[in-house]
Amino acid sequence: MKWLKHGKIFDPSEHTLANGCVQFAQSPQALVFDDFVRIYFSTRAVDTNGKFLSHIAFVDMRKNLREVIRVSDQTVIPLGGLGCFDEHGIFPMNVVRHDDLVYGYTCGWNRRVSVSVDTAVGLAISRDNGLTFERIGPGPVLAASLHEPCLVGDGFVLVIDGVFHMWYIFGTVWKKYAPDAAADRTYKIGHATSPDGVNWTKKESRQIISDQLGPDESQALPTVVKIGSRYHMFFCYRESFDFRKAKGRGYRIGHAWSDDLSNWTRDDDTPKLDGTPGTWDSDMQCYPHVFECDGKVYLLYNGNEFGRHGFGLAELQP
Amino acid sequence: MFHWKKLGKAFTPQEVQERTWLKEFAQAPATLVMDDVVRVYFSCRPPADAYGQYVSYSAFVDLDRQDLFKVRQVAEQPILALGGLGEFDEFGTYPVSVVRDGDIVRAYYAGWTRCESVPFNVAIGAAVSRDGGKTFTKMGNGPILSYSPDEPFVLSGPKIRRFNGQWQLFYIAGRKWKTVDGRAEPVYKIRMATSDDGVHWNKLNKDLVESRVEEDEAQASPDVFYANGKYHMFFCYRYSSHYRGKQNGYRIGYASSSNLVDWVRDDSKAGIDVSEQGWDSEMISYPHVFELDGKTYMAYLGDQVGRHGFGLAVLEGRLE
Repeated sequence: MKWLKHGKIFDPSEHTLANGCVQFAQSPQALVFDDFVRIYFSTRAVDTNGKFLSHIAFVDMRKNLREVIRVSDQTVIPLGGLGCFDEHGIFPMNVVRHDDLVYGYTCGWNRRVSVSVDTAVGLAISRDNGLTFERIGPGPVLAASLHEPCLVGDGFVLVIDGVFHMWYIFGTVWKKYAPDAAADRTYKIGHATSPDGVNWTKKESRQIISDQLGPDESQALPTVVKIGSRYHMFFCYRESFDFRKAKGRGYRIGHAWSDDLSNWTRDDDTPKLDGTPGTWDSDMQCYPHVFECDGKVYLLYNGNEFGRHGFGLAELQP
Repeated sequence: MFHWKKLGKAFTPQEVQERTWLKEFAQAPATLVMDDVVRVYFSCRPPADAYGQYVSYSAFVDLDRQDLFKVRQVAEQPILALGGLGEFDEFGTYPVSVVRDGDIVRAYYAGWTRCESVPFNVAIGAAVSRDGGKTFTKMGNGPILSYSPDEPFVLSGPKIRRFNGQWQLFYIAGRKWKTVDGRAEPVYKIRMATSDDGVHWNKLNKDLVESRVEEDEAQASPDVFYANGKYHMFFCYRYSSHYRGKQNGYRIGYASSSNLVDWVRDDSKAGIDVSEQGWDSEMISYPHVFELDGKTYMAYLGDQVGRHGFGLAVLEGRLE
């Protein structure tokens, strides 16, 4: 298996976005319709403190995944209320069809004082084919617990044989790598199941994907697809500090496979997604999302600067 | 109507020496009755930091069982350390509630973190003692009861009970943050969860006690006691705005239930109110009822939510 890269397919600066958002199209997530693909992404506004607020928007594309039909011009889901887990941003939102509804699993962000942020996973439901989403409640469905103390987020859900499976990330530690540095976080990928998509049971603190970079590896944005009889997970991983600009320490795409949804074998090399020197994804590849469309397996992902300038596409070659 | 005879203030934190972490406050008393003392857990604070912000620790004072106004000893150290960087209990462990489980003592406590848009958030943690309640080890570095769709923030005030072979956790959950004079003030309601093992909890997802003084009434300290065929709950409540003084401050309310789930509130039965003068003349709060040697006592806080300690009252008559 290998990736055929199609380059960047969406640039947020070429469109007018709701909520005053001007840059970033992060963590693209696909919802496939009969004759188009709706791709949700997180974009950013700036609040009165000069800090970012992530909002969900979407772009509808023809199934060639090139031609833009339209970009959402209204709020898809408002941010959470004062003091709620998703007050300061939703990034990302994973979408999954269930009955006639679309379930949106949000990663909500709220700002802290001693560390920058905490997150949790919420559920919002769409009854209009994904144009707008309404929360099932102001709080999260998956949050910190006894052995997962912080930063539960990045939920990706598949319904398999009537059981909801969620792959998500949980924080293991906040750490200052230099005395006067801001605290950096480390997170790993976990797995939860549910009979209804609302009430979840976590295998607490069970890291299902082994580390490639050692204990200071942060793993994010798991996404799972079944190819033949085997499940494949893609995710991104990086060093836990000095990862924003330093060469070789930033996000790249990882891969693992499983035949039983429980034991995963890490294999980043097959297929491997390399950055293309001198282009939009030369220094960083992150926030992967795999989906099937008309018999093909596609990968949406972000490139340099965590997706400030948009997202791109690759196609799996057998 | 019950009648509680006030006995006075039993513990004054300002009188304790040589503990840098205990300058003032003795909040949310919770008892563990021992052979010759009543161990009363409480929460206290060192001086505020340079920005005027507090952390909270929990500790205990042993009161002489023969004379509850005689302090036998005060904990040398807090019973729990503050949490690590970014953890839910980094800035406070307050309040705490304890229960025996065979040879061990289990503690459930509220852990405090600091937020940007609101001053704090709270979730409930758990810890275990194997030395009779003197020192505790946290069961994990995250909370045992956390946020959920209908309980979005501020899970606090745990009270652990064991009735009918089951575990009950009474607690409060935040309903909204209300902006009053530019300051975010929390509104919270009394809730319950049940468990078969004290570790895995199922939330009832229901307000146990109706609000009385206003829709945004804040309720706290749901202290449940079984006597004479029914469950009695003493709790405290306040208005949502300007509650730091006498007018809108905490008072003690009462509700009863035959099944722990359906509660009938009747504050007129509570039988305890602020005094004309003295340490509890502006507000009374955080009731905790316990039985000792044939008598029923209530420990509670007075003015400034326990800044100057807690007091005791004794029931005249029966809870029925």
